[in-house]
Amino acid sequence: MLQRERITLQLIFLQAALVVAWCFTDIETGPGAGVSTQPNGDRFKIEGRAIVPGIKTQDWVSTARVLVEGEEYVGFLRTDGSFAVNDVPSGSYVVEVVTPTYRFEPVRVDITTKGKMRARLVNYIKTSEVIRQPYPLQIRASGPHSYFMKRETWGWTDFLMNPMVMMMVLPLLIIVLLPKVVNTNDPEMRKEMEQSMNMLNPNPELPDVSELMTKLFSGSKGSSKAGSSSKGTRPAAKRR
Amino acid sequence: MAKLILLWLKCVVLWATVEAVFEDQVGKFDWRQQYVGKVRFSHFDTHVQSSKKVLVATERNVFAALNTRTGELFWRHVDKTGSEGNIDALLQHGQDAVLVVGNGRLLRSWEINVGGLNWEVVLDSGSFQSACLVGQQDMVKHVAVLKKTAISVHYLSNGHQKWIENLPETETVDYQAVYSDGNGEVYVLGVVPHSHITIVVYSMEDGEIIKQVNMSVEAPWLSNIQASCVVVGQGMLTCVDSAGVSFYMLDLHLQLQMTQVPLQSLALEVDPGFHPVLLSHQPNLARQPLSEFFLQLGPDHYQLLQLNNGQIAAMRDFKPVTVWLLKHLLTSRAVEENLRKFNSVFQLYVQAFLKKDDSVGYRAMVQTEDHTLTFIQQPGRVMWTREEALSDVVTMEMVDLPLTGTQAELEGEFGKKADGLMSMVMKRLSSQLILLQAWIGHLWKLFYDARKPRSQVKNDVTIENLSRDEFNLQKMMVMVTASGKLFGIDSKTGGILWRHYLDNVPPNAAFKLMVQRTTAHFPHPPQCTLLIKDKDTGLATLHVFNPIFGKKSHVTPPALPQPILQSLMLPLMDQDYAKVLLLVDDQYKVSAFPSTKNVLQQLQEMAASIFFYLVDSSQGRLSGFRLRTDLSTEQIWEVIIPPEVQKIVSVKGKRPNEHVHSQGRVMGDRSVLYKYLNPNLLAVVTESTDLHQERSFIGILLIDGVTGRIIHEAVQRKARGPVHVVHSENWVVYEYWSTKSRRNEFSVIELYEGMELYNSTVFSSLDRPHAPQVLQQSYIFPSSISTMEATLTEKGITSRHLLIGLPSGGILSLPKMFLDPRRPEIVSEQSREENLIPYAPELLIRTEWFINYNQTVSRVRGIYTAPSGLESTCLVVAYGLDIYQTRVYPSKQFDVLKDDYDYMLISSVLFALFFATMISKRLAEVKLLNRAWR
Repeated sequence: MLQRERITLQLIFLQAALVVAWCFTDIETGPGAGVSTQPNGDRFKIEGRAIVPGIKTQDWVSTARVLVEGEEYVGFLRTDGSFAVNDVPSGSYVVEVVTPTYRFEPVRVDITTKGKMRARLVNYIKTSEVIRQPYPLQIRASGPHSYFMKRETWGWTDFLMNPMVMMMVLPLLIIVLLPKVVNTNDPEMRKEMEQSMNMLNPNPELPDVSELMTKLFSGSKGSSKAGSSSKGTRPAAKRR
Repeated sequence: MAKLILLWLKCVVLWATVEAVFEDQVGKFDWRQQYVGKVRFSHFDTHVQSSKKVLVATERNVFAALNTRTGELFWRHVDKTGSEGNIDALLQHGQDAVLVVGNGRLLRSWEINVGGLNWEVVLDSGSFQSACLVGQQDMVKHVAVLKKTAISVHYLSNGHQKWIENLPETETVDYQAVYSDGNGEVYVLGVVPHSHITIVVYSMEDGEIIKQVNMSVEAPWLSNIQASCVVVGQGMLTCVDSAGVSFYMLDLHLQLQMTQVPLQSLALEVDPGFHPVLLSHQPNLARQPLSEFFLQLGPDHYQLLQLNNGQIAAMRDFKPVTVWLLKHLLTSRAVEENLRKFNSVFQLYVQAFLKKDDSVGYRAMVQTEDHTLTFIQQPGRVMWTREEALSDVVTMEMVDLPLTGTQAELEGEFGKKADGLMSMVMKRLSSQLILLQAWIGHLWKLFYDARKPRSQVKNDVTIENLSRDEFNLQKMMVMVTASGKLFGIDSKTGGILWRHYLDNVPPNAAFKLMVQRTTAHFPHPPQCTLLIKDKDTGLATLHVFNPIFGKKSHVTPPALPQPILQSLMLPLMDQDYAKVLLLVDDQYKVSAFPSTKNVLQQLQEMAASIFFYLVDSSQGRLSGFRLRTDLSTEQIWEVIIPPEVQKIVSVKGKRPNEHVHSQGRVMGDRSVLYKYLNPNLLAVVTESTDLHQERSFIGILLIDGVTGRIIHEAVQRKARGPVHVVHSENWVVYEYWSTKSRRNEFSVIELYEGMELYNSTVFSSLDRPHAPQVLQQSYIFPSSISTMEATLTEKGITSRHLLIGLPSGGILSLPKMFLDPRRPEIVSEQSREENLIPYAPELLIRTEWFINYNQTVSRVRGIYTAPSGLESTCLVVAYGLDIYQTRVYPSKQFDVLKDDYDYMLISSVLFALFFATMISKRLAEVKLLNRAWR
């Protein structure tokens, strides 16, 4: 009990410390007076590089742009993937690399009035939280954009390989085909079969495992069967 | 725990139901057209013989490379709007194109094959004058940029500054031009108006001033060197005075004196009132310009001259020059019709090239006054045309296409009064016969087309075969552009079916497009009216036209001598089914169009129920007026918003063609919460004039437009614009920038009457005693937005989505469900029953919700939504620099089979079942028979 209290106390302390830290960082970014442009203030340069792993830069740079705080400041990518956005006054900005093909995470860049730069993770909910990112920016594409939904494809193999269908079809085959293959009217054959059955079940007194199971699950059996049948027809129903 | 899982499951299900585009639907219902804008600078890429590029820098701050064969874009770079992205100069050398951007603020070099940036440097402040490439020993390695007070030289390879020098005597001398001919010197030409020309010669090596000459000229005319002077031949500065009396020549290398050559000695005469212009050409930047040059004597009159040992000789007279050029470009037959088309040539870019057989070929890119780019190859072939006016669409409407004859016949059957059973039956049969005939015809055409190779099958849409499709999904898009050119575009293919250029449009005009008569009133043609208003004077003109054919209507619009304050479309119709347009002038007098006796009579009857409002944002005044029977007006309310504190940014009413299907929402406990559906409600957005981040705020007022009653007022502190608003049904959604948290936020206001409806049959603003309940909720949005609009469907049954244009070019379809002020923070049984999503502060942007997948739309300016004949389907057009058209299904396609519907599967299953029953029946019979025999 006591220990738990202590833990919570520690947690509170930690939180307080964090809050204090945030406050400090906030002070640090303080001079970034929003995005209000000071006409006479110094202008700075946001630099960085965008990388798409495994793709040559020539193939995507012509469609890419660097947007700072929406379209407030615009930069373009060099042929090696690096970029610089010129003429940005001090403040705090969200820098994004946009291309129609690849996805890049946005980064928040803080610029003090003296021109000190800092990059951090964008967090819109806790806006003053600082998780540092490298500066000059290193923005790595996290893969291509996924614009499309997948169509539900349908093929015969999918249908046949469905476990439900297999479960239904195989017993059916056995029931229909076995009597045809094995002539049950032949007395010799019948004897042979009985023998083999006895071989399989050497101790008639022992209770049959399968029988036991059926007894055990007899309650749920009906419902599971119903479920399986409904599921079996589902692929067709879904298409409607 | 179980509840949590359930909740999570629900979320997953809900999120999954939101529809997205399927990959195989790409380009099936949607199209995009990309534009660049009106061309300011253009260069043919000639450094490789086989190059197919032409570089264009446009007035919309776009730098692009076009394919000369097809007119399509190789690549395009869209810079900031406004003066900061303005392109001042375009220079090309080899693979590099150098741009001066933002009044000389930035110097950029582009690699034109890939379309990537080579380098970008910031130049010192100062207003830009001129730029040129500097060559040395047959190599071009530098670029010189002349500003008002300084000249700087940069390396072409990396943009580094080689040297920068302040210009001498900048208080008096106006430096305007820079010139170099590859001898290691840079000449800066300046002028002291009415006094003398100053030439400063810099050494290319270190920027040292080699020479500075003040050449006194008795030249009160000389104020702009670039307009009136060129350098010709071996460094001979040649000027022509504005009156067109004489040439003035000065050798830049010797700078001895200025010689004067009267034009009359060459038997030349300038058109009266025309300011003559000189043109020269420097094919190799490291060498001297050609000694031949042009003198423009009139708007369409050029004279080719040659400088030979200081003597000017006239060589050839070209008058009119465009005709001459086009005659050489076009074969004689094509000339006739094309000349008529090009009679307003604005700019002409000609590329001459050597053909394989060593003869000279020409290509020309012609830009006409209406912003059309036409590319012509020498034998008179128009290779392509681009309608660059469409890069600046201001407003648009979608108009239903007319019915075909057969369709009209069928429709007519239902409209007429019953005239006997027998004739009705006959009519029915005959119309069915017509349908059958049409269907067989269609089948025959399908069969016929199937035999032909696919490439030959064309189903071009032309004006002649335009007709409505069965679900009214294909419409005519009437687009109005800022240049005053109107377009009719087929919404299915994007083909331009008609264009009409209004040449008397003032440059800062505001447009309002209204559909007065739709295509539903068959013998009468559809009619659109465009109100063109000069923003400065307030004077307006009306252009009445047929939206299907683009032809000007024979209806003469009224002359409007007074400035117009407001225009409103009434639901009244005259005897020809044209809706009545009311125009309010600055004397608060009302005029109607059409103003027939019938209309005036109807107006008198209706006058008591016609109200309108006026907004004066400069004085912060909103006022409501009532119409009197004598068509004068009476002010009935006024709201003043102090303009010192806040200004009115936008006033949004509801769309008149919007339908609301359900009057209320069913709550979890089966009671009904009724919506407050006031058709006269206005959402007024204000922004504070104080922009300090601590004190700025935005306000939103909901005002009844008839009574002036303020229904609701909300203020968002520490917020500023731009504010985007959508007002529909019983909700208002707006987006603003929160200065405190430095993020974009969405806020939604919903209005409800409560559990009981006051008067469920008719809504009247004058009789609503109870104030509505107001619910509001706000969310974080992780991107800024460009524009916003709500989807619209025929009957309003389909759920609504918000279409949000993002700066990245995506158009996000955000379900309104996420912007619902009743989203609970704590999930209860009832909220789950209602399908409310639990509140989350942040709205997500999922790329699956982009209705335009990778077809980005640059600088989205507006999104237009129109209902189609299908309730599930809404037609969407996003316009900006590009135009994108698509269809959206906010609640999926519930009223029509999906396009991936598997006919094969369903028919094969049916057939299989059929045969299985047949076979099993037969088997059962055999078995029964066998048993009977046993």
